[in-house]
Amino acid sequence: MIKEKNKFKEIEGAEFGVDSRYTSKKKQLDDGKALMEARLQRMKNLSSDKIIKAKLLQLKLKMEEFIKEPIYQEENHFTKFLTSYIDTIYSKRIDFAKDIDIDANLLSKIVNNHRKPKEDFLLRLMIHSEKTYNNICHFHKKTWYQVYFQEKLSELMANQDQWRPNVERHVKIKNLISVGD
Amino acid sequence: MIVISSANGKEYKVEIEAVQANDYKSITKSRYFFDWKKEQSQEVYKIKIVGSSDILGLVSVERIPEEWRIHIRLITVSKENKGSDKEYENIAGNLITFISKIAVREYGELACVSLKPKGAIAQHYIDKFGMNITGMTLSVEIEEILELINTYDYD
Repeated sequence: MIKEKNKFKEIEGAEFGVDSRYTSKKKQLDDGKALMEARLQRMKNLSSDKIIKAKLLQLKLKMEEFIKEPIYQEENHFTKFLTSYIDTIYSKRIDFAKDIDIDANLLSKIVNNHRKPKEDFLLRLMIHSEKTYNNICHFHKKTWYQVYFQEKLSELMANQDQWRPNVERHVKIKNLISVGD
Repeated sequence: MIVISSANGKEYKVEIEAVQANDYKSITKSRYFFDWKKEQSQEVYKIKIVGSSDILGLVSVERIPEEWRIHIRLITVSKENKGSDKEYENIAGNLITFISKIAVREYGELACVSLKPKGAIAQHYIDKFGMNITGMTLSVEIEEILELINTYDYD
């Protein structure tokens, strides 16, 4: 009876805390090995539908991370995310072009950074994503726009030494307001 | 993500963010059950209601990228949120879901979040979060993670 009472108490407060720190590296490796074997078995039963859902969820989370903490690199994040999005859902990119009613050559140019996407493209992509993510998780309408403009902004700020000297020559303020006089 | 007041069922939006060095002054063992100062070199997150500075729960994790896994080292709710007279529901669920989202972001369909609760606590985690059991280790993988996100994440 006492044992039962204690057991109940433990479950009642179960969420208050779990200490599952490994006591040694060996223990971690042993547990990891056993867990990996079990995971591989479970993964065999994972449907292709679930794998696609997982990849799309990963893409959404990566885009959200980029929006929160943009990093300027040589690679174009917008097109990297776009390519990942299309290739996760379609086996041929031409089918995506058909689904959003754009020319396949134009899509190819956007994906290969030879042309910037226009508003029409972004709007169709927004609606396409809304429908795709509908059964997976919440997807903000503005995500693609945010990624696109965040990247433009980061690029602009990172390359100031290239455009600023030329642009500054065109900016003169005759009556500069000085604060504090 | 939200927590629900046990008193009136009211929902409150929460945010989860990394614990800062100055937070450790208020993270005491008497209120958060473990010596969290020992976790300062680890990746530690706190959950709080948006607009409040009061920490409702904490989690520390270790990333094991070679196994596409994140292991939960410690997880806790604050003293007021323990047991049947807790102030808010969903604190641990939100923390586990948050860590699961990091795992999916990093490892995609191979994502796994593990922990090792002892004794009867394990059954609670299996029942409540749909965790898989392997020896003494409990884990959520992509199927369970998708469920967790549907249940806890509205963002």
